[in-house]
Parts: sequence; C-alpha cells; structure tokens
Amino acid sequence: MNCQEFRESIAEAGANADLLQHSGECEACAAVLADHARLCAGLRTLAADLRRAEAPKRLELGLVAAFRSQHRLARRAGRPQWWIPALSWAAAACVLTVAALFLLRPHQPLPAHRGTPRAVESASIADAPDPYTAEGDDGFIALPNARGLDPNDEVNIVRVEVPRSAMLEAGLAVSEDRVSELVEADVVLGPDGLARAIRFVDEPMM
Amino acid sequence: MKVTPPETDDELFVRLRRGEESAFVALYRRRQGAIYRFVLHMSRSPEVAEDVTQEVFVALLRDACGYDPDRGTLSGYLFGIARKLLLRQIERGRVDVPLESDSEDAAIPELAVAGNALEDLTHREGIEALRRAIGTLPRRYREVVVLCDLEEVDYADAAGVLGCPIGTVRSRLHRARALLLDKLLNHERHPRPPVSALNPIRCLT
Repeated sequence: MNCQEFRESIAEAGANADLLQHSGECEACAAVLADHARLCAGLRTLAADLRRAEAPKRLELGLVAAFRSQHRLARRAGRPQWWIPALSWAAAACVLTVAALFLLRPHQPLPAHRGTPRAVESASIADAPDPYTAEGDDGFIALPNARGLDPNDEVNIVRVEVPRSAMLEAGLAVSEDRVSELVEADVVLGPDGLARAIRFVDEPMM
Repeated sequence: MKVTPPETDDELFVRLRRGEESAFVALYRRRQGAIYRFVLHMSRSPEVAEDVTQEVFVALLRDACGYDPDRGTLSGYLFGIARKLLLRQIERGRVDVPLESDSEDAAIPELAVAGNALEDLTHREGIEALRRAIGTLPRRYREVVVLCDLEEVDYADAAGVLGCPIGTVRSRLHRARALLLDKLLNHERHPRPPVSALNPIRCLT
C-alpha cells in the first residue's frame, strides 16, 4: 500500500491491518491515521452527547391527537351505514307489495272501442242504463244475449253510426225501405269492451 | 426465557396503517430524535427542527404518504421528507444559516477553547469545537456527516435520502472529514484569543 492508497481507504476502512502496516512504515500517514482516529472518536462522542436532544414532548401529544382525530374520522367514514341497506330493502318490499296487489286484483281490461266513432263519450255507471231492465229511463235498450252489468262496472258510451237494421235486433220496428239507412246510436260498452245496450239518437221509440 | 425481538419499522408501519395508535407512538418515539437532530444540525434552529419533525410525522399519517418498503427503509424515507421540508424552509427564508455556502474554508465560529482542538476532542470544549466545525461545512458535506457519522445512517440509506449514488456519499464523507480535520488543525495553528482577553468597546446587548 502506498500513501495515496492509504489516504483513499482510510475514510472507508478505518484502522485495518493494511493501514496499520503502512502507518508503521510512514510517519506522515501515521499522523494522518492518528488524526483520523481522534476525529472519529470525537464524532462518536458528539453523537452520544447529542443523542439526548429530542423533539419536545408536546410534539408527541399533538401528533397523537392528530392521529386519533384522523382515525376517528376514518372509522366514521368507513363504518357500515346499516340503515342504507335496510331502507333499500324496505323500499323494495313496498314496491313488490304494491305490484303484487295490483296483479292480484280482478282483471279489468281496458274497453275496446268497436268501430271508429267520430266522437267518444265517457260515462260513469250512473249514466249507464239499468242493467236489470230491458229498457232504461234514458232510452237504452239492453242487447239480446249481452251479459248484465254490475253496478261497480265501469262502462263507456260511444256514439256510432249503425244500419237502421240494427233497430230490428233491438226489437224496434223499421220500415223495410229504410233498412239500409244509417242511424246514429249510443252504445254502452261493458268493462270487457263488449256492447251491452244501445240507444238510437233522434229516433222515435216505437 | 424467550425474548421477543422489537418490531421492525415496517411492522409498526403496517399496524399504524391499520389505525393502531400504539404503533404510531412506538414509531414516533423510535425515529423522532434522529429527525429532530438532523434538522437541528442543518438549520441550527430548534423552532425549525420542531416544525419539520412535526410535518414529517404528519406526512406519515397521510393515506398517500408514499412510503414504499421496496424502495428503501422507513428511516431513510423520514429523513428524505425532513430534508425536503428543510429545503422548503430555506427557500421561504425561515432558515437564515447560509446552507448553500460552497466555501470549504469557512472559519470555525468563536470557540470557547483555544489551542489544540483536535487533541482536545475528548473534552467538552473540543467536542463543542467539533460541533461548530461541522456547522461551518457546506451543506452537501454537513448532510453526510450528520447522517452517517452522527446519526449512523448507513451509506445506502444516506444515498436514498440525498438522492445520489453511494459512491458520492463515500466521497463526500471523505472530503467532509478532511475538511473537519483541516478546520480543527487550522484552529490549533491559529487559535482565537479567549473571550476574556478581548477588550469590549461597546456592549450591544
């Protein structure tokens, strides 16, 4: 080992056998080694001296408080909100119940409109003819073979043009030469869309 | 009797992440001193050292603290944050010490000891001279002395903290020690007169 190698390795290796051997042969390097050893000893002493220096205790207290605060918030944010799924299930149950009630109700199909009346009038059951009489006070004549109406049934009355021959089916007299003429009539449609009664407009009942 | 080895920093960090306060306290108590002293040496300001130490551990509490065990030790990570925060303090002007001085031959500030400071390193005055000599080193040398010699951070960790290769850490440390020896020997050759020998003209305090 020469002096250059000695000086290059002294910082890294400390006092190893090679360094000691060279320093035994070279007075200048021996002095450098001694200085270096003193410096390292001084640095160790200084490090030990300074090791007592620490951050003030209040810093730890503040940081622990910050830690608690942060994790309290995190726990609150991460805590399962039991009422959210409960509310969801309750809402779903309500929807299913309503749907079930709707589906289990007696089937009431929408009335089908026969023909293409120029004007359609809606009427409540109060306007409908008395289903138990062949002819109501309002001029409606129950059609033969038609099913009777329940008082709670919703009916529609539609105005249509029909051949005068229809009056024959309702039991009315029609002049033979006018059979092919069209007359206006109000037809009562039951909830199933089938005609139940008829009233001829502006035609004298015979 | 079986002695349980102390938990490693990484084990404590995992428990800290799970929200265990005891792990945070243990980690803080284990590492705060070195961080505080590092900043204190670099800034020479207890206030700055306290502020930076606090910010380092607050950063550790954040969810996205960025610590990756595969990239280095937790100690190195903490020193790295401390160094960055310190540099920020310098930029803001909170640290009035000329940390960026490149001058390698700055004189040691007034020492309480006169004479052979190097010979005296076993005494309190000599140790104080050494501490002051470290304070006069340019920042890049002071950092390695504080980290490697005073806080016993290994070279690999120091390289991570300083963001340079290990070889650079070694060469800086070598140069830093040479500078320290030079300062202490120079002090020996040109001792300052003791304070009692000075004739005060005016008291400024």
